[in-house]
Amino acid sequence: MKTLTRREFLKASGMGVALLGTGGAISFAAEAKRRVVVIGGGWGGATAAKYIRLGDAAIEVTLLEPNKEFISCPFSNLVLSGVESLQNLTMNYNGLRKHGVKIRHEAAGAIEPDKRRVRVGKDYLEYDRLVVSPGIDFQWDQVEGLAEAKDSVLHAWKAGPQTVQLAKQLQSMKDGGVVVMTVPPVAYRCPPGPYERASLIAWYLQTKKPKSKLVVLDANKDIVSKTGLFKAVFKDYSNLDYRPSQKVEKIDVRAKEVTTETGDKVKYDVINLIPPQRAAAIAVEADLVGGDKRWCEVDHVTYESVKQKNVHVVGDATIGLPVPKSGNVANAMGKICATAIVHLLNGKQPPILPPGNTCYSWVNDKEAIAVVNSYKVENGKVVQIEQKLTPGKSVITAQNSLVWRTSIWNDVLG
Amino acid sequence: MLTPLLVTPALILATLAFASLNAAAGPLDSPGAQKSMVCSACHGFAGNSPGNTIPILAGMPPSYFKKAIKDYAEGKRPSPEMEPYSKYVLQVGIDEVAEYFAVQPRQPPRTKPDPNAVKRGAALAGQCAACHGPKGEGDAFRAVPAIQGQPAGYLQIQLTILKENKRKLDDTAVDEAKKAMLKPLSEADLAALAAYYSALR
Repeated sequence: MKTLTRREFLKASGMGVALLGTGGAISFAAEAKRRVVVIGGGWGGATAAKYIRLGDAAIEVTLLEPNKEFISCPFSNLVLSGVESLQNLTMNYNGLRKHGVKIRHEAAGAIEPDKRRVRVGKDYLEYDRLVVSPGIDFQWDQVEGLAEAKDSVLHAWKAGPQTVQLAKQLQSMKDGGVVVMTVPPVAYRCPPGPYERASLIAWYLQTKKPKSKLVVLDANKDIVSKTGLFKAVFKDYSNLDYRPSQKVEKIDVRAKEVTTETGDKVKYDVINLIPPQRAAAIAVEADLVGGDKRWCEVDHVTYESVKQKNVHVVGDATIGLPVPKSGNVANAMGKICATAIVHLLNGKQPPILPPGNTCYSWVNDKEAIAVVNSYKVENGKVVQIEQKLTPGKSVITAQNSLVWRTSIWNDVLG
Repeated sequence: MLTPLLVTPALILATLAFASLNAAAGPLDSPGAQKSMVCSACHGFAGNSPGNTIPILAGMPPSYFKKAIKDYAEGKRPSPEMEPYSKYVLQVGIDEVAEYFAVQPRQPPRTKPDPNAVKRGAALAGQCAACHGPKGEGDAFRAVPAIQGQPAGYLQIQLTILKENKRKLDDTAVDEAKKAMLKPLSEADLAALAAYYSALR
């Protein structure tokens, strides 16, 4: 059944009465097909694509995602400690297809906002509205020696092959070895992620390689997220050496050594260098990023870019909202942005909807901690209402996280 | 959607006006649907939670939904997850969110309860029926929750919390009665009760 916008209805209704009066069938002029292109099938983009179709099935939605499968970054730290398999975190896109999302497993080549089109190979996809949810890219040049060594120095910060490789490196390290992991300066994807990873690597070493140790070199002055909770957790691990204000500036893969901003040199057997980050290249090239050349500023109600009209940005690539770069926030942004786009394409005022955030971090093989944030929109800006932390680590919180993942993966992809 | 009733122009206009309200009505085209949108990350689309420990909100009477949200916001039901989100709901508009979930068709829980536990639970459920009804249908007028067809994991957690007196009801007498009722029950008994009510329709 063809849906009808309010405006078209008002235009057509007078004629409709006349036609009905004669007993004739009503036929409205076919409205032009409205098209949305979504770049990136992660937590934000997949959600947006699905919810635009749910909101108005007359809108054509094309999702551009080079990967054939969705791999969840949340829970991928558990793969490093051998508690979870990457397979359990891998899902297909068939659910989105059932919603009528057209999926092309190709990368977007470039965005041309003035022509309202996206280049894909030699082809162009035209859009009325574009959703950009490209995630992050790494700033290799911020660490001397990293660009040349990026194939062997693993970040494992995009769940996938590197996650499995880093797990293998940890497994094959001799007992008594030193693992060094580095935390990038804010802002970066998943604020508590590095500390969850540190906890889980420390747990793994304590359990499987008790003579080994983990050195965490944090570019930030203190633990960025769930600070008190992680400090308590770190006390469980005598093998964990946490060093704040130690931004890594150089890596020497031959000497197996990193140098920090204070000139400290730290030797490693296994290195996990999480590089500084910015919005993915496609967003930078389309001039969606702000003065920092890193992140995309958006309207807090519609997620439309403040720099390019008809282009919306969701997920980790955004900045300026007081929300973490988390999967749950990307999912919330995807839904709110989708609702805004459905309204805008139907000539209606988008509703004002704030996001929310639920974020679990595992700290050993059985227990987790959590932080939950809720927000409101005040004078057009997202503002936090409340933040609540779990009192400490618990098995119940870990179990809750497994239920959360079932639900939210279904919300993103099902 | 447009019904070709050839009666009077007034009626036709009325029909068309009604159609216009519904013309672009996708499942998200109501304030309640939009304001509850963040809830689906945990509670499932239209309140049909796929997880065993997260309650199904579809078909929940507004009286009880509102009581639960207010209890979470006031800390009467301690929950790191629901305290912030209850304030979210109060902020965006509790009435519309409650009305939205109330009219969503409820689906059965995805996790099927163990039939043996269901049988054992039936034998233990006599006292519960006094307030929650013979089928666990609750009493919307008194904001007594319908516990039938909720995920067993969720019911078991709530029973445990009530037994440990970590969740306060408003009426002290009911609190005390409930504690006394639950006191002699073992963890396995609570699991059986949860399974029984989860299987009831």
